[in-house]
Amino acid sequence: MKQHPDCTDCENPVTPLDFPVPAPVKQQWAALETRRRFLGRSGKVLGWAALAGLFGRTGLRGYANGRDAKSPVANADNRFDLPHFAPKAKRAIYLFMSGGPPQIDLLDYKPNLAAQFNKDMPDSVRGSQQLTGMTAGQAHFPIAPAHWPFAQHGQTGTWVSDLLPYTARMVDDLTIIKTTNTDAINHEPAIMLMNTGNMNAGKPCLGAWLAYGLGSMNDNLPTFIVLQTKTNPKENNQPVSSRLWSSGFLSSEYAGVGLRSGPDPVLYLSDPAGVDRQVRRNMLDTVEQINRQTLADVGDPETNARIAEYEMAFRMQSSVPELVDLSKEPQSTWDLYGPDARQPGTFAYNCLLARRMAERGVRFTQIYKRGWDVHGDVVGTLPILCKETDQGAYALVTDLKRRGLLDDTLVIWAGEFGRTVYSQGGLTQDNYGRDHHPRCFTTWMAGGGVRAGITHGETDDYSYNVVKDPVHVRDFNATILHCLGIDHTKFTYKFQGLDQKLTSPVPAHVVQELLA
Amino acid sequence: MIAAEKWSAAIRTLRIRSVQAPWLPILALSAFLLTLPLAIPLNGEIHADWLQFLGRFHPSLVHLPIGMLVLLVFLEFTGRNRTGLRDAGSFVLQLGFVTAFLAVLFGILLAYGSGVTGVILTRHMWGGVVLLIELLVCISVRPTWISRKSPRKYPALLAVSFLTLIWTAHQGGSLTHGSDYLTRYMPGPLKEFFPSAVGASDAPYVGSAYARYVHPILDAKCVGCHGASKEQARLRLDFYDLIIKGGKDGAVIVPRNPDGSLLLQRVTLAPTDRHFMPTDGKPPLSPDEIATLRAWILSGASPTATGIPGISKVSEIAELPIQPVGDYSPLMNEIRQMQRSEGAKLVAVSAKPSDGLILRTLDVASNFDDAQLAQFQRFAPYIVEAELARTAVTDACFDTLSKFTNLRALHLEGTAVTGQGLAKLSNLSQLTYVNLSATKVTPGAVAPLKSMPNLRHLYLFETAAQPEAAAVNGGLNGYSGFHH
Repeated sequence: MKQHPDCTDCENPVTPLDFPVPAPVKQQWAALETRRRFLGRSGKVLGWAALAGLFGRTGLRGYANGRDAKSPVANADNRFDLPHFAPKAKRAIYLFMSGGPPQIDLLDYKPNLAAQFNKDMPDSVRGSQQLTGMTAGQAHFPIAPAHWPFAQHGQTGTWVSDLLPYTARMVDDLTIIKTTNTDAINHEPAIMLMNTGNMNAGKPCLGAWLAYGLGSMNDNLPTFIVLQTKTNPKENNQPVSSRLWSSGFLSSEYAGVGLRSGPDPVLYLSDPAGVDRQVRRNMLDTVEQINRQTLADVGDPETNARIAEYEMAFRMQSSVPELVDLSKEPQSTWDLYGPDARQPGTFAYNCLLARRMAERGVRFTQIYKRGWDVHGDVVGTLPILCKETDQGAYALVTDLKRRGLLDDTLVIWAGEFGRTVYSQGGLTQDNYGRDHHPRCFTTWMAGGGVRAGITHGETDDYSYNVVKDPVHVRDFNATILHCLGIDHTKFTYKFQGLDQKLTSPVPAHVVQELLA
Repeated sequence: MIAAEKWSAAIRTLRIRSVQAPWLPILALSAFLLTLPLAIPLNGEIHADWLQFLGRFHPSLVHLPIGMLVLLVFLEFTGRNRTGLRDAGSFVLQLGFVTAFLAVLFGILLAYGSGVTGVILTRHMWGGVVLLIELLVCISVRPTWISRKSPRKYPALLAVSFLTLIWTAHQGGSLTHGSDYLTRYMPGPLKEFFPSAVGASDAPYVGSAYARYVHPILDAKCVGCHGASKEQARLRLDFYDLIIKGGKDGAVIVPRNPDGSLLLQRVTLAPTDRHFMPTDGKPPLSPDEIATLRAWILSGASPTATGIPGISKVSEIAELPIQPVGDYSPLMNEIRQMQRSEGAKLVAVSAKPSDGLILRTLDVASNFDDAQLAQFQRFAPYIVEAELARTAVTDACFDTLSKFTNLRALHLEGTAVTGQGLAKLSNLSQLTYVNLSATKVTPGAVAPLKSMPNLRHLYLFETAAQPEAAAVNGGLNGYSGFHH
């Protein structure tokens, strides 16, 4: 059997001297391989090793400017690093409307559009801006006014579409941002940018940053939980992936823990027959010992994350059944959340779970609702989408408020972008479609840290460009961090030679006008 | 003729000096030292870690020149009789200069690396640089003192250097220990001589119009430069007593005379005016804020009045400014131990110790009872928020809680409390939030809370004390007991 020449696993190992190089060069090499040179080189290696040891985890490896992963609460100086300042909100709930809700039909009221039905959008509005491939080929850009009437609500007199009767009831508690804008025009980059501050995968999302920076409030439940809403086949469901709740370069223990949207939020919660708690405990203890040994041998920090995850799973065996047991909820809960809330996997059910998680100290809950990608048949699908989400969102804010939790909980409602004023495909009296639109879209926040009852920013008459007070995604995220007591410029993690931030690399600003 | 002779004599002495003291190198070295802080501007940014790593040796290095200089003074006195000691003086002086140079260098590295800035830091730095130059001159003139050519110059210089040393060292001490380190426990009568040591506090004015409306404006727009860290124009605006005291230009507020009040004059000047405040393009006061200040001064600038005529802010009640609690750092080891244990935790509100601690029981809620709560009494003044929701505490908890003097928020939802003893909380002047939802409290039991002026958020959802409005589904504002 002939061994591959580069293979070193043989009795006569291949040395550089066996390489096909000219003999004089080999002679030079041999002359250099003296004992003196060997000792000298060993000394240098020791020196470098000592230096590496001196710098330890801070000099050569990624380290935390925000918080040391090893000591979840206080750093070596006996001081707490985070939050940077006293926060208004301790926790946040993010209602993510994946697909891009059409702002013109919901909250960005444009009364002048009705008169321009089916007229082409003036070229001056669009200027030289690019369109998506889906509508770039259209010969006309016919204006499609909102199909539903708007009315003023609350003491603030905020205009809200009739599609959102429940949202209309709570406008005085909302901070509506009409001028949120993003850089991306398609779902995947836009949704990544919204969640991780970067269009490319591999960066930690907002929830992971919060879990990493602020830590857990309840050791028995994950710090960051993701809830998926069951998809409705009538809607145009864009995929969402675990990249969106990934911890990126942060340790895996900060990634979002997804609960299932079926009746069993976590599978195999109960121990199998014949395995009692103590047996399970002993097994986990032994697994941990083995993992610790691996950690000592290899030194991969991900092993730490694995140990933590086993422990969390064990504790969740007792905490999750209590969390999802809704039998003790009073009638007032069902009155508020509506009948949908009794069906696991609906948006209303998830909102109710989010409230229960807020009570139990989950730092960040993100609820994904897909289906907002209304390229066509807006008139047919938008009422369904609104019916699915409107009451749940209202119930969540109201429930938090009446229970005294809204004072220190931030609720966020946002999609990854907005939709165009002009119709995609044909425009008829009864129906239209809307394409992706990144230059302005409407989002809202409510609760701890933000100013209730304001509408921030102005868009032009076509809800196409921002006229006043733009809020870029990075500014949006910087403001969220601010509400939770974090200075986004100081909240960094050294990775690939950069002080990585949620809001890098382009400078971002906290939107002062949004703050309470 | 006489004048000419004087001139030539002067030139002669100058020549002699220039022979004895190498003025040119000294001047060059001084110039270098003076430009050092300018070459490495302290712009508040954090720089490379190794700078801080080296810089952190500054506190240990800095004691070398201090020791040397103190020793030198003793040597020069005792050296009158013992020539050996006098000879040693020169060596000690030079060693003192070298170590002082290193200390200054590492100090600048520390400040530059860590991004720390401030008035005290700047004073400390320049003090160090000036001291270095003085020592340099000391070295050069000491030979003239030994040879008795000019017997007075060196002792005078040494005395000046010594005073500079004390002043600089004091600035450094203030940096590490806080500027009130020496005066904090000073006997009362002595404190009179140090006006800055008198502890100003706005605690008595909690809930007043000043605390609600005026203080937040000053805090947001002025205190950055007129506060504890920077005291521009010797004016501080962070506490009422200090605002009234005024600054370098005298009183800044003349009650009932807004136009005669310097404070208002400065913020209403044309933004281009040299005296316009806030300076350096910092955000100016809004017309609303100016109107509030004007109305407050017009009404007499009282710290206790609960309203300002003409200003109604019913819709937007400013939250109480957070009253700083004491520094809990000395108890940190205990707190950290608790963090690691399985029981209830004390977590910091923020990185600022004066923001206080939160008592968190979520992990162990069902086991946490009155006895365990009582164990947290020794942290009582530092706890600003008690999260006792769904714990096993009973009405007995109010005895303990009444000792949490800085408590701002209290969660008792889902507990077995009935409200007996809620009255004991009435001494908690900072308490703004109480959540008694899903408890057995009765309207009668919560009545004592209504007399607490700062309690703005009282939650009684799912209790017998829940107001009528809450029964109507959908009303958003009916759930809380009352709003002030």
